[in-house]
Amino acid sequence: MKFKIVLMVSLLLFFRNTMAQDNVEINGFVRNYTGVLLNSSSEFSILQNTLNLTFAKQTDKVGFKVNPYLFHYSDSQLELGLREAYLDFYIKDFAFRVGKQQIIWGKAEGVFITDIVSPKDLREFLLPDFEEIRVGVTSVKVNYIKGNHSFEAVWSPVFTPTQMPKSDSYWAPEMSFPMMPTWDYSTSSKDLNLENSEAFLRYSFMGSKFDFELVGGHFFYDDPAIHLIKIMDTATMQMSGLVARPDYQRVTMAGGSFSVPIGGLIFRGEGAYYDGRYFQINNLMTSDATIEKDYVHYMAGLDYTWKGIKLSTQFIQEYIIDYEDGINNDEFENTMTFLIKKDFFREKLWVELFAYVGLNNEDALIRPRLTYAFADGFELMTGFNFFTGEEGRFGQYDDNDMVYVKAKYSF
Amino acid sequence: MKRLNLVFVMALVVAITGMKYSASNIGGAEIMQKVYDLPTGDDTQGELTMTLVNKQGEQRVRKLKQYIKSGEEVDKKIMFFMAPADVKGTSFMSWSYSDGRDDDQWIYLPALKRTKRISSDGKGDYFMGSDFTYDDLGDRHPSEDNHKLLREETINGVKCYVVESTPKDEDYMYSKTITWVIKDVYIGLKRDFYDEDGKLMKSLQINKYEKIQGFWTILETEMKNHSKNHKTKMSFSNVAINKGIPDSKFTERSMTLGK
Repeated sequence: MKFKIVLMVSLLLFFRNTMAQDNVEINGFVRNYTGVLLNSSSEFSILQNTLNLTFAKQTDKVGFKVNPYLFHYSDSQLELGLREAYLDFYIKDFAFRVGKQQIIWGKAEGVFITDIVSPKDLREFLLPDFEEIRVGVTSVKVNYIKGNHSFEAVWSPVFTPTQMPKSDSYWAPEMSFPMMPTWDYSTSSKDLNLENSEAFLRYSFMGSKFDFELVGGHFFYDDPAIHLIKIMDTATMQMSGLVARPDYQRVTMAGGSFSVPIGGLIFRGEGAYYDGRYFQINNLMTSDATIEKDYVHYMAGLDYTWKGIKLSTQFIQEYIIDYEDGINNDEFENTMTFLIKKDFFREKLWVELFAYVGLNNEDALIRPRLTYAFADGFELMTGFNFFTGEEGRFGQYDDNDMVYVKAKYSF
Repeated sequence: MKRLNLVFVMALVVAITGMKYSASNIGGAEIMQKVYDLPTGDDTQGELTMTLVNKQGEQRVRKLKQYIKSGEEVDKKIMFFMAPADVKGTSFMSWSYSDGRDDDQWIYLPALKRTKRISSDGKGDYFMGSDFTYDDLGDRHPSEDNHKLLREETINGVKCYVVESTPKDEDYMYSKTITWVIKDVYIGLKRDFYDEDGKLMKSLQINKYEKIQGFWTILETEMKNHSKNHKTKMSFSNVAINKGIPDSKFTERSMTLGK
């Protein structure tokens, strides 16, 4: 890894002058991010230094962007990655983008409904900036644009799953098994072949009275279903072992989203229907603890600005069709989000509160934060992540309340 | 076509076409209507630098590119933020309608990689931390105020009408404005803004204007906020008028590409 980093820096220095001559834009940021748990351990939940670089150039016919990043953690661990690396070219009304890219769809904020193309990096749950939660996917994207109408087709030859936290991470999700399983990762990645590629379509319109988009896709669901295989002792007819095998299943999805101004309000909606998604089930009649069900996920939200205070709320519901007892998820799972944001001193200080509230388990993630623009391009941020409840999507992290500080310089 | 964004950015680009009006017996309402009715080019583009100066004299600089296109029913405007670095890549688009309905506005944030429709209700908010509110930068119709010609006055050798405008809406953010309008030309050269207590709150001064491509164009302006002891200087460069900006400039694609 260190060799790769040295190589990257050397190449950057070598090509810097060439890039300047070619009018390649170089931007990026340097950031320190320090977080401390508020429980009795007072452990640092994160000590991270980041260098994020973007090299880009756009002309009327072609363009490119490369976005390498470097994370340095407290234990001297280094992580070098490419958030995006793609080429653009334009032929009349067609725009082509080839390479690793983040593709973001939908109108919901902080939740992922029709936003199905780029998977998520959940190694620190939902806490990183959304730019860093989205994982780039190697794809070919074609846009046909006519006026305010846009047709988009995406083909991804490589399946990229959600990046999950390690089992010893603060953010490893709770999983309950009847006994400690042995893990079988033989199906946790997909072979590189045409059969395993993914396809997505989108039509979008942006107009004077409303915006909307229609989307669809045939792809692997980014989160694994855990298939459990029981090993029985033939003598006692008791379970003597358990094998857990994560696997990713194909799904077909169709959905859409819209936003429309109503007076001073912006009303947003988004919904998706999944034809066959796998869920975990605790039912002795099922052979591998998974079951396939159709599934609906939708959201309705409102945005409003009152005396310079930005207010936003969303109601999100997930519904498993033809529900059966024993499925780990509830038949209906309801979540709300709330956002309050205001700037002071001519955009030098921002005060923000964002919250997820799980209605089924009465749990929540509450995120107040202050951002101060110390100088142009340099900001200091501090905030809290409060988890409440005892179970559920947010309550499971009740011991992970934390305070953090970030210093970031953009150039 | 006639909707002149009098102050805003290139909206400060004011066109005159040699129209001459008699100064005799003219009233305040007629003067402000002539200011509002001055024809502009079909489209304008250029770069704007805003320098924000606080009471300690510290400066913050914002740079952006802007394109405006006027139509019979809708004026479209798109801005691409260039500096500072933490807002670079952000773009903002608004469509304003001649029938008086609310503007449509969208913002593209590169970190979110998504174009978002936003409420146009925040007209009293300050634009990018400057001393200009969105309303200051917009296109206020003369029918929204009562106008009175106070006097004629000469500023730096320029003869002006001095017009007091009082809003019909009592809840408007200013209790009145006083505008110095250049005689025969009908450009606003200076404007004072008064708060709800009748105290002088802000002053707008045009410092430089030139004729570009047949249109008078304001190139430097300054807004002083007396109550906050803060000011914002705006300067325009690379201004071009009637270059035939295509409709495709005012689309989601353009916002995401940042050009």
